[in-house]
Amino acid sequence: MSSGKVLVIDDDPQIRRVMRSTLTAHGYQVNDARSGEEGLQELRNSSYDLVLLDMNMPGIGGMEACRLIRSGSDAAIIMLTVNNTERQKVDALDAGADDYITKPFSTPELLARIRASLRRLPQLPTHSDLQPLAEQGVNIDLASREVTVHGRTSRLTAREFGLLSYFLARPNKTIAHRELLQAVWGPDYGDELEYLRVFVNRLRKKIEPDSSKPVFLVTDAWAGYRFHLPQ
Amino acid sequence: MTSVTEVSVSESVISTPAEKKRSSDSPTVLAIRKNLRLILRVSASLILIAATTFVLYRVVPVNPTTAGFLFLVVILFIATKGGLVESTIASVVAMLCFNFFFLPSIGTLTIADPQNWVALFAFLATSLTASQLSVRAKRRALEAEDRRGEVERLYALSRALLLIDTSRPIANQIVQQIALTCGFPGVALYIKANGELHRSGLKADVDLKLRESAVRSEMLKDSTTNLVVTPIRLGGGPIGSLAFNGGAFSDAALQSLLNLVAIALERANSQKAVTQAEVARQSEELKSTLLDAIAHEFKTPLTSIKAVTTDLLSGTPTPLEPHHHELITIADESTDRLSKLVTDAIQLARIEGGTFRLNLGVHLPGSLVRAALRQMKSVLEERRIEVQAPDDLPPVRVDGGLIQVVLTNLIDNALKYSPPESPITIGARLNEGRVIMYLRDQGQGISFEEQAQIFEKFYRGKSERQLQGSGMGLAIAREILRAHGEDISLNSTPGEGSEFSFELPIAREVGPQ
Repeated sequence: MSSGKVLVIDDDPQIRRVMRSTLTAHGYQVNDARSGEEGLQELRNSSYDLVLLDMNMPGIGGMEACRLIRSGSDAAIIMLTVNNTERQKVDALDAGADDYITKPFSTPELLARIRASLRRLPQLPTHSDLQPLAEQGVNIDLASREVTVHGRTSRLTAREFGLLSYFLARPNKTIAHRELLQAVWGPDYGDELEYLRVFVNRLRKKIEPDSSKPVFLVTDAWAGYRFHLPQ
Repeated sequence: MTSVTEVSVSESVISTPAEKKRSSDSPTVLAIRKNLRLILRVSASLILIAATTFVLYRVVPVNPTTAGFLFLVVILFIATKGGLVESTIASVVAMLCFNFFFLPSIGTLTIADPQNWVALFAFLATSLTASQLSVRAKRRALEAEDRRGEVERLYALSRALLLIDTSRPIANQIVQQIALTCGFPGVALYIKANGELHRSGLKADVDLKLRESAVRSEMLKDSTTNLVVTPIRLGGGPIGSLAFNGGAFSDAALQSLLNLVAIALERANSQKAVTQAEVARQSEELKSTLLDAIAHEFKTPLTSIKAVTTDLLSGTPTPLEPHHHELITIADESTDRLSKLVTDAIQLARIEGGTFRLNLGVHLPGSLVRAALRQMKSVLEERRIEVQAPDDLPPVRVDGGLIQVVLTNLIDNALKYSPPESPITIGARLNEGRVIMYLRDQGQGISFEEQAQIFEKFYRGKSERQLQGSGMGLAIAREILRAHGEDISLNSTPGEGSEFSFELPIAREVGPQ
C-alpha cells in the first residue's frame, strides 16, 4: 500500500536517512535529493505527490528551489526551516510552499502535516458553482484548474483550488479565519493567520482583475474573508 | 586627539614670480624698496619732461599751442605708466617749463599777456585731471586683475578640496591645498570637533591664537607680522579656525575661502559618519549570518534525533516495551531541552548583539495567547490553563512572533515554579487605552530579594535548582518587551503566587488582510 510519493530534498545525510526510514515505515514511497538542483532534476524525471524541502541548502537554496518546483510541478511542498520568524514563514509560503515546519519537529507532527497536504479536497465545485464567476469574466477549468481572467491564464495549486472551492460554496457570507483554516488545511490548524494572508493574496493574483483592488475576495477586518458575488 | 604637524612647502612650488617679491622680504626692506622705486620713477618722469622741453625748444621749435599739447601727451603717458605722485610732479614741472620756454616773455617765469595765464592754468588743470583719471583707471584694472586672480585661486582650491581623501586626517591636506593654491607663506588650520591642528610655515605660538579664535568666534589680526587668525563658521557656530600670513586677499575672497574650508570639513564629517554607519551595518549583518549558521548547525543533528525519538514514541507501527519507552522518553526530553537552550542562547545573542529588528504587525491579543498555548501544547499536557482573553479586545501593534516568545517563556516559567495541580491563568484586559497581558500562577511566590534578580541572565530560582532550564527565558522576555518600548512587571506574594504583566500598544489602523 502506498499513501503517496514523497521526495525529500535536504543536504544533511542523517535527516535524509531518518526521513526515508520513517516515511517508508508509514507507507510512503520515498526518494531523496541532496540539493535543490538535484531535486529539480528528480522532479523532471518522475512525478511526486509531495516534496519535503529544506530551506537552508548550499547552491540555489530552498527558497529558490521552491519557486522553481512550483513553476513546473503540482506536488505539494512542505518547507523545513530552522528559523521560525514570521517573515521567513511568509516568505516560504509566498515562494509557493503549501506549509512549513520548524526544525526540530516531531515525527507525528510531520506526518499530520503531510496528511493535511495530501488530503483530498473536501468538495469539488460544480459547474453551477462556477457559473456566477464565469458571468463576471473569470473562467475556471475544473479538470486542469486553469483560471482565465481577461485573457490572462494561470494555474491554481491544489490548496488554492481547495480554498476557492470553499469560498464558492458559500458566496457573500463572511467566513471566519479559523473555519477556513480547519476546512482547507485540516482540524489541527486554526491560528495560522499568515497562511490565510498569503494564500488569499495568491488567489487574488490569479482570479482578480486587479489584485490590489479585490472585488471578489474581500477582507472583513478581524472577522474573516467573504467571497463577493453579485446576485 | 590633537596632532600638530609642521611642513614646509617648497617655495618654488607655491609662489608665482610676482608673489616672490611680495613674500620673501621683511616689511622694512619692502618699505625702503618702495621709496627707492618712487624716487626712480619721479626722476624718470622729470627726465622725460626735460627731454621734451629740450626737443621742442632747440631741435624742432614749435609754437606755444603745439608745445602745450605735446606736454599734455607726455604727462598722459607718465600717468598711464606711473602713479599719481610722479604724474602730479611732472604736471607742475611741465607747467613751469611751458611757462619759462614757450610763453612770452620767454626765458622768465613772468607772463606778459594776461590771456596766457588762462592758457597756463588750463594746461595745469587738464594735466592734473588727466593724470588722476588715468591713475584711477589703472588702479581699477589692477584691482580687477587681483580679483580675477583670487577667483581663480578659489576655484582651484574648491576643486582641490573636493578631491581630498576624507579617510585620512584632513587638516594637513586642507592646509597644503590652501598653501599651494593661494600662495600664503604660512597657513594653519584647527578643527574644533576632533582637536586636529596642522601648521605649515607658521610658528607654534599660533596654536593658542587658533584655539582662542575658534572658541570666541573672533577674528584676530596682527599687523606687525601680517598674521590673520579667523574663525571658520558653519550655521552660526565656529567649527574651527584658520590662520595665515602674507596674504593679499580681499575680505570677500577671504570669506569665500573660509566657506570653502567649512564645506570641506563638513563634507569630511558626513562621509565619516556614512562610513561608520556602513561598517556597523556590515558587522551587524555578519553577526546575523553567523548566528543563523550556528542555529542551523546545531538544529540539524537535533532534527534527526527528534524525528527518531518521536517516531519511536508514537507507537506506530509497533509500540515500545515500557522500559524502552522510558529510555526513549528521556532522550526525547533531553533533545527538547538542548533545542530550547540553543534557541534561547541564539535569541539572546541576537537581541544583545542588536541584530534583530521588530517585524511589527497588527494582532489580536486573543490570537497571540492561543498561538502561544498551541505552541506549548506538548508540555502543557494535563495542566489546567484558564484563558481570559475576550474577543472584543482591540488589536495590538507588536512583533507577533516575539510576543509569542515572551508568552511561551512566561508559561514555561510558571510550569516550572508552581505545583502541577495548581491552575495557571493567562489573559489580556483593557486598561486606560492599552492592552495589558498577564500570566498568573499559584506557586511559591518570589521573595522580595529575588524579585530584582529573576530577570537577570542565567539566574535560576533558588528553591528549584534541580529544575531544567537555561535561566535565559525571563531575560529574553524583558529584552523583547524593551525593544517594543515596554517593560515587564512582577507582582508576587510569597506563598500565594506570582503575576507577570506587560502592556502593549493598541493598533490604530485597520486589521490584517
